[in-house]
Amino acid sequence: MKKLSMVLLVLLIAGSLFAQGAKEDSSAYKIYLITMDQMDQHWVNVDKGAQKAAEELGSVDYKWLAPDVKDDAKQIESINNAVAGGAEAILLAANGPNAVTAALKEAEEAGVTIVYVDSAANFPAVQTLATDNTAAGTTAGEEMLEALKAKGVNAGKIGVISVNSATASTVARETGFRKAFEGTSFEILETQYCNGDAAVSKDMSANFITQGVVGLFGANEGSTVGIGNAIAEAGTSVIGVGFDKSDMILSLIKSGHILATMAQNPDVMGYEGVKTAYRALSGEAISQDYVDTGVSVLTKENL
Amino acid sequence: MVTYIEKPFKRLMGIRGIGQVLTVTAGLVVLSVIFGIMNPIFFSSRNVANLLRQIAPILLIGIGQSYVLITGNIDLSIGSVVGMSTMISATLMTKGVNPWLAVLLTIVACLGVGLSNGLLVSFAKLPPFIATLGTMTIARGIAQIANNNYNTDSIGEAAQGLRDFFYYGKTFGLYNTIWIALVLWIIFNFILTRTKTGRHIYAIGSNAEAARLSGVNLVSTTTKAYLVSAFVSCVVGLITTATSGMGTMDAGNTYELYAVAASVIGGVSTLGGQGMLFGTVIGASIWGVLQNGLQFAGAPVAIRNIVIGIIVVISVLLDVIVRSGKSSRKKRTEASV
Repeated sequence: MKKLSMVLLVLLIAGSLFAQGAKEDSSAYKIYLITMDQMDQHWVNVDKGAQKAAEELGSVDYKWLAPDVKDDAKQIESINNAVAGGAEAILLAANGPNAVTAALKEAEEAGVTIVYVDSAANFPAVQTLATDNTAAGTTAGEEMLEALKAKGVNAGKIGVISVNSATASTVARETGFRKAFEGTSFEILETQYCNGDAAVSKDMSANFITQGVVGLFGANEGSTVGIGNAIAEAGTSVIGVGFDKSDMILSLIKSGHILATMAQNPDVMGYEGVKTAYRALSGEAISQDYVDTGVSVLTKENL
Repeated sequence: MVTYIEKPFKRLMGIRGIGQVLTVTAGLVVLSVIFGIMNPIFFSSRNVANLLRQIAPILLIGIGQSYVLITGNIDLSIGSVVGMSTMISATLMTKGVNPWLAVLLTIVACLGVGLSNGLLVSFAKLPPFIATLGTMTIARGIAQIANNNYNTDSIGEAAQGLRDFFYYGKTFGLYNTIWIALVLWIIFNFILTRTKTGRHIYAIGSNAEAARLSGVNLVSTTTKAYLVSAFVSCVVGLITTATSGMGTMDAGNTYELYAVAASVIGGVSTLGGQGMLFGTVIGASIWGVLQNGLQFAGAPVAIRNIVIGIIVVISVLLDVIVRSGKSSRKKRTEASV
């Protein structure tokens, strides 16, 4: 397997050199995108955004390089290969905070500019472009608050379904969600952790509805599907707001059982990431070290 | 007149382990009353219907774990088989396979895990903890690979009949999930208490060597228990698919421990040879009532975990105390003779 991937890599590098030769554009900046894997739609969308920016900018030689599966050793290999392939900038979605720092140090010593997309490592870079989950949670809360006010509901209980108390992203979303209700007469009940299991989330949501909640919040895909199914079964007008974008969630939005879901903007990460790398390579100083790429609020109206 | 009442009572008290079942039944009643007083919604018809439906899956996996525990073994693969079942069935349905054919194929795949568990433990003589730890990891891996490391898409309109059959539909005023659990409980309770297979299961749990010498086939009996466990886990996976309308890879996480808790609280001994499925009903009910009641009481999940943990420990402690009491009494009578 190792041998095969080495052969493939050599072919890939040879191919890329050949392609570059064909282009005969030595002034183009060589920018590589390295993600956690190749399969996830999320990464495919980061790549799409990056491609778009590369086309718009013109003199960019852009390439997406990613391991077949999420694996620290394979991501390090990808970084080394990018450096060997003459990368001038790398957009990286780091597997973990510490796993790839040694490889990044080597890359930096080789003069490579580093920009993080989606998730950063513990190593200085020009900029990080990612979703601010706390802010996204607040956006979700504001959506719910607005919908409740439009219905004339100004007080009541709200239920929260989340994954567990250790996942940083969902904990941040929950914190942000609660923040949106500060100073209102709404009471947010104890969070129910359901491990992202849509069936367990549904049961806990049904209990919340029995308790008479006016709103339900799901912090990830499974949680959101759970609240949607519970609202659909109970046939109530409880306002459901969730996170992530999946086939099942979109169908629950279309059927009117979920009001809105917060979808990350991976294409923005790729697009703005390439632009940042381009500006940095052109010698421009990048003052902003963190960019929140925000979330898109998907509702029945804008689907 | 007195003997007329006493006789069935004495017979009831003569059943091994009945003391703990009666104790936890009383505990269940007390718990329910407390939750009912704390929040009257607890006894609302809507909540009772929901609560019974929430207990059903715990009861089902409890039946499986009880079978295996009574043979003196353990099944750690239950939660992963639930996950595997939901992912395989949902993936097949999203690929356009007829839902009922998907159910059939899923059952076959899950029984494969049960068969492996049984053979690894009884034929290859691996410690059950290790063997089922292995299959637990493998089954979770299969759940993940079923749809290429993603949760599935919606199983769609074509599967609405299946969703109603396993979860959303009602028959005679009760949710179908409750009927499924009830029917399977009656069947498996009958097998355990009224058939040769049932007696063999108790026999190898009490003393495997003695059972073997008296002609009990250890391999087939142990494997049957693991097959029951895999089957009920598979059914819970199908209920999960029906509930969610999709497959989530994390479904069923740690369910094997819920199943141990339901069994042990209900008086099934982890040392084998003892326990009854009525106790498992009570154990599963206590679990469900705590989960539901503590949510109404506004308790954080951490508190619920602590309470359930304490109840599990106390249940096992009761079992140990009763057993040591009995054996010391036995010694005393032997000494006096």
